[in-house]
Amino acid sequence: MTDATVPHPWQAAAEALLLVAVVLAGVLAVAVVFGLPGQRAATLFCVNLCAVLAIQVFSGTSGVVSFGHTAFMLVGAYVSAWVTMPATMLGRSLPELPGWMGGYELPGSLGLLLAAVVGAALALGSGLAIARLSGASGAIATLGFLIIVYTVMAAAQHLTGGNRAFWGIPRTTDLWIAAAAAAGFLLVARLFRDGRTGLMLRAARDNEPAARALGIDPGRMRLRAWVLSGALAAMAGALYGHMLGAFTPRDFYFDLVFGLVAMMIVGGMGTVTGAVGGTALVMALQEGLQRLEGGVTLGPVSLPALFGLPTVGVSLAMLAVLLFRPAGLFGRRELPFPLPRRRAPPPPAPVSGAGGARLVIDRLGKQFAGLVALQDVSATIPAGRITGLIGPNGAGKSTLVNAVTGLGAATSGRITMGSSDLTHATPERVARAGIARSFQNIRLFGGLSVEENVAVPALARGLPAAVARATAARELAHVGLASDAARPAAALAYGARRRLEIARALAAAPVFLLLDEPAAGMNPEETADLATRLRDLPADRGIGIVLIDHDLGFVMGLCNHVIVLNRGQLIAEGTPAEVQGHPGVIEAYLGTRASGVARATMTEAEHSIATGEMQHG
Amino acid sequence: MDLILQQMVNAVSLGGIYALLALGLAVVFSIVRLINFAHGEVMTVAGYGIWIALASAWPVAAAVALGLAVAILAAVSMERVAFRAMRGADVTTLLITSFAVSEIIKVLFQNGISARPVPVVLPAWMSGTLDLGPVRIGVIALISILTVALSLVLLSVFLRRTVMGLAMRAAAEDFPVVRLMGLRANHVIALAFAVSGILAGVAAVLWVAQRGSVDPLMGAAPVLKAFIATVLGGLGSLTGAVIGGFVVGAVEVCLQGFLPQSLLPYREAISLALIIAVLVWRPDGLWPAEQTSRS
Repeated sequence: MTDATVPHPWQAAAEALLLVAVVLAGVLAVAVVFGLPGQRAATLFCVNLCAVLAIQVFSGTSGVVSFGHTAFMLVGAYVSAWVTMPATMLGRSLPELPGWMGGYELPGSLGLLLAAVVGAALALGSGLAIARLSGASGAIATLGFLIIVYTVMAAAQHLTGGNRAFWGIPRTTDLWIAAAAAAGFLLVARLFRDGRTGLMLRAARDNEPAARALGIDPGRMRLRAWVLSGALAAMAGALYGHMLGAFTPRDFYFDLVFGLVAMMIVGGMGTVTGAVGGTALVMALQEGLQRLEGGVTLGPVSLPALFGLPTVGVSLAMLAVLLFRPAGLFGRRELPFPLPRRRAPPPPAPVSGAGGARLVIDRLGKQFAGLVALQDVSATIPAGRITGLIGPNGAGKSTLVNAVTGLGAATSGRITMGSSDLTHATPERVARAGIARSFQNIRLFGGLSVEENVAVPALARGLPAAVARATAARELAHVGLASDAARPAAALAYGARRRLEIARALAAAPVFLLLDEPAAGMNPEETADLATRLRDLPADRGIGIVLIDHDLGFVMGLCNHVIVLNRGQLIAEGTPAEVQGHPGVIEAYLGTRASGVARATMTEAEHSIATGEMQHG
Repeated sequence: MDLILQQMVNAVSLGGIYALLALGLAVVFSIVRLINFAHGEVMTVAGYGIWIALASAWPVAAAVALGLAVAILAAVSMERVAFRAMRGADVTTLLITSFAVSEIIKVLFQNGISARPVPVVLPAWMSGTLDLGPVRIGVIALISILTVALSLVLLSVFLRRTVMGLAMRAAAEDFPVVRLMGLRANHVIALAFAVSGILAGVAAVLWVAQRGSVDPLMGAAPVLKAFIATVLGGLGSLTGAVIGGFVVGAVEVCLQGFLPQSLLPYREAISLALIIAVLVWRPDGLWPAEQTSRS
C-alpha cells in the first residue's frame, strides 16, 4: 500500500504548456525563416489549428467524427464580421442587413466573444438532437446539421449576401493574434481532454455500457463537449473570417470541413498532440502539391496539370494513415512532460454505514420472445455480507444481474433498494442509487490508463479531481495494481484486467457490488488471491457483495449465504453447507444420474468435472 | 385534388430514386458496416457511361446497359481497391475511407472529363406526357415509378429465393456465421457491392433522364438524401432504407409544392430539420434492423 502514487496535479497543464511552447516555437521559426509568405502560412496554420482543435474537443473525446463544425465557423465568421464592421462599410457590403444586427465597430475581442456565445447557443439547440446519437448515426447527423446551417445562411441573402462575396471585413487576424488564439485553444482542448467531462466522455466512447453502469450519462457528456466545441469552432470561424477579409457561405462548406477532418485524422483524433501534428503535416502537403497542381517539368519528365491535386494528395495521405496507423501518425499518447508522480494523499475513508440497506427482488420475471429466462425469483440481499449466486449455465444468473442493473428490464416483478424502485431504472440511475457491477466479458475503458479507469467512477459521483485520484490509488492498491497505475488499461494481462474491473466498481463507492464471474479464466493462485481481497470488504465498508461464479469452491469459501438458480427459478437458498446438501442443487449441477451420490461436500475431482461441464455447456 | 395527385406522382418518382440509393447503401452497410460516401460517385460514373454511349449514337437500351455495367464495375472495384484493405475496421474509419475515396474520384472526373455539366440528349418521346384521367403524368416519371417498383420486386425475389440472396441476408444478420458455413466472405461482399452498384446505376439512369446532364457532383446531392433516408429508416435495415427514401422524397416534394415562395430557398433546411426531429423521437429510425448482438 505504501507504493500508491498519483500523477502530479500539474501534469496535464505542464503537458499543455509544453505543446504550446513547441507550437509557438515552430510558428515563430517559419515566420522568421520564410519572411512574408512564411508569416501568412504560420497565421493560416494557427487558424486551422484552432478549428481542428475545436473539432477534436468533440470528436476526440466522443469518438463521433463531426462534419458539422464548419457550420459553427460559418456562423461565427458572420456574427463577428457584422459587429466589428463600421456601419457605413457594412451598409455598402450588405445593404439589406437590418441595422440592429451590426455596424457597431466593436473591437475584435468582443467580436470573438459574441461569436462564441452564438456558437454555444447554436450548439446547445442542435446538440439536444445530435448529442443523443453516437457512432455513425452521430456522424451523419453532424453532416445534416452542416447542410441545414449552410442552406439557411446561403438562402438568407439579406444577412449574408448569398453567393456574392461579403467584403470589407477588417483583417484583424494577424500572426500574433492567431498564435495567441492557438495557444489558448491548445490549453482549453488539452485540459478539457483530461478534465472531468473529457475523461468521463472518453470512458463512454471506449465502452458505453460500462460507463453507464458507473453512473455516467453519455448523451449528457456528449452535449457538454458539443457545446464547448461549438463555441470554440465559432471563434475559429471568426478568426478565419477576419483573416480572409471577404467570403461567402460556400467557403465554409464541404471543402473546408474535408481539409480540417483530414488534419485531425492524419495526426490522430484521440489526442491534442495529434491535432497539432496533423495540421502541420497536411498543410505542408497541401502547400507542396499546390505548386505541382498546374503541371511541372523536371528535366526530361513533365507532369500534366491536375487541378485538385492537393485534395487527392490529402485523401491518399488520410487513407494511408487509416490503413497503417489507424490511431493517427502521432498515436494515442500526448506529448509527455516528465513531472514526478506524487505519493498518494490519504483518500477519504470508504463510505460505510450502509449496513441497513437491503436489495429486494420481488417475484421477478423475464421473457425473451417466448423463452422464460427468469420466473418468480424473489430474494432479499442485505448489505454487509457476501451473497453467492450460483447455478448451471443458462440458469438466469446474468439475466438477473442485468435486470437489477438496468441493462435488460424485467418483464414482471419489482426490484427495490430502500425506498427507491429500480425496476425500470436506467443503468445510470441504478449506479447512482449505489449499485456497481463487473461484467462477465470484461468491459474496460481501453483508451484510458489503469488509474484513469478507476478515477472515472469517482469523478462520476462528483468527487473533486484530487480526491478522485486518491480514491483510485487506494482501490488500485486494494486489488494489487498500484504499480501498474500509469499503464494503458489495454496492456494489462487477463487476470489483472478482472481485478481492475473490481477496483473500478469499488471506486463508485457502491452499497451493493455485483460481481459477474470475477474469477472466470483465473488460475487457482489468482482465484485464491482474489478471495482474500474480497473477503473483508463487507465488514470494512458495510457493502453487500453478490458473487456469481462457476467455481463452487471459490463461492462456497467466501459466501455467508448462497442463492441457487436453475432454469430461471430459485431452487435453494441458505448457508453454503445447507445449499450443498440440497438434493435439487446436486441434481441441477451433476444431473440425475449423480443425485444418488448426495454428499455434503464434493470431492475435488467431481467439482472440476462439474465446473468443466458448465464452462463448455 | 388533381394537384395533390400530381404531387403524389412526383413524390413517388423522386422518393423511388432515393429509395434505390438508400437500399444500395443499406445492403453494403448491413454486411460490412460501411457508410459509403462514394456511392454518389458510383451514380456519377453510370451517368458518364450513359453520356458516352449516347454521344456515340448508341441506342438507348445499349446506353442504359452500359450505364449499369460501369456502375457495377465501379462499385465492385472500389471495394477491391479501397475498402477490402480496411475490412473489419470500425465504422468511423470506414466512413472516413469512403469520404476520401469520394473526394479522389470527384477530382478525377473534373480533370478527366469536365468540371462543367455535359448534356445528355434523350429521345424525344421520353420527354412527353401521358394523360391518365385527371392526372397528366410525365413519361419519365412513369418510367421511374415502374422501374423502381420492378427493381424492388426483383431485389426482393433475389434476396428471398436465391442461395446468394439468402447468404447476403444471413451475412447482414451475423457475418462470422456465414463464413463458418463455408461461403466465401469475399464473394458475399463483392455481391453486396455489385447489388449496390446496379441500384445506383438504375438511379443514375432515371436521374439523368430527368435532369438531361451529367457533372462530377451529380451523385453527391441525391446520395446525401439517401444517407439521411438510411438513418431515418434505421441504419442497416433494408426495409427501413426503402421507407426512408420514400419519406425523404415525399417531404421534399411537399415542401417544394406547398411552401410559400419566400421560404422556398430554405426547403432543404426545413426538410432536414423535420427528419432530425423524427430521429430525436426515434433514435434507431423508423424501421430499425433486427437487434443482433454484435460487440
